[in-house]
Amino acid sequence: MNDYTEAEVQRALAEDLGVAEQGITVVRAGAGLVLCGEVESPHRRDEILRLVHDRFPGIEIAADIGVTRAAAPTEAEELA
Amino acid sequence: MIRIAAVGDVHIDRDVLGRFRPALEELPDRADVLLLAGDLTRHGTEAEAKCVATEFGGLGVPVIAVLGNHDHHCDEVPGVLSTLTDAGITVLEGDSTVVDIDGVRLGVAGVKGFGGGFAGRCASEFGEPEMKAFVRTTGTVAERLGAALRDLDCDVRVALTHYAPVPDTLAGEPLEIYPFLGSYLLGQAIDSAPTDLAVHGHAHHGSERGRTPGGVRVRNVAHPVIKQAYSVFNLARDHVSPPTPSGI
Repeated sequence: MNDYTEAEVQRALAEDLGVAEQGITVVRAGAGLVLCGEVESPHRRDEILRLVHDRFPGIEIAADIGVTRAAAPTEAEELA
Repeated sequence: MIRIAAVGDVHIDRDVLGRFRPALEELPDRADVLLLAGDLTRHGTEAEAKCVATEFGGLGVPVIAVLGNHDHHCDEVPGVLSTLTDAGITVLEGDSTVVDIDGVRLGVAGVKGFGGGFAGRCASEFGEPEMKAFVRTTGTVAERLGAALRDLDCDVRVALTHYAPVPDTLAGEPLEIYPFLGSYLLGQAIDSAPTDLAVHGHAHHGSERGRTPGGVRVRNVAHPVIKQAYSVFNLARDHVSPPTPSGI
């Protein structure tokens, strides 16, 4: 890992057609990277981790990526 | 009362099919119309648009959309548009539509929008051709949004964009990327008409509520922001402009 790894990972996540995620935050933490954010399915979370492991082997990855909830709203906002 | 449901940035592909549908089945009991604030697909393929049509088609309420930057990525916009339109979804880009809801005319004008940044910290139409083209693109779409809003003949006027018209709803995003998330020119266009509500997406780490300098309520409905299938905004009857008496 070098000073440009965060940028390379962030661009790879956005530009790889199998991932295409622009909403993942990539933060350097010690000798590894922490990936944070939300995606639309567990499959996409798996694809992100697979891509980073394949393209950036040897870098320790901690992932904190959630799947956005898609339940009906419990209340409406009243705009008077 | 007019009940407006809205969500953006759903990024539908086969792996998401069916996730929104249970909540969407309840939507006609909760709202009169659904607005989709762009980034309907993952990369803008016709195949993904078919998934959007499956997920958001046949809801029993009008569905009105704008496209987002993801919907342009694979350069298949004509196929995406025809697929959505065939599924009964109205897609706006510099134009508007009016829906009659129990005698109240809801007008929605929409554009994808574009970036450039916000007043005092924005890009200018100056320098290299690429820079001028970037800023000119935003200016052109903002002018089209303003004209579409002003030309609407309706009781309730809503602006629908993908990019943000104000910085308020970007709170949570890094300041460095604000110019890629929206433009004050969109806010100026919204303020050029008596707009009741502006809805946008695009900023996944932003926040829900803001206001234009002219006082129009702005809501960021990006799915990762609202963390539910859609938000619902109730516009109270007394907020709705009284109809002009005819024959006078």
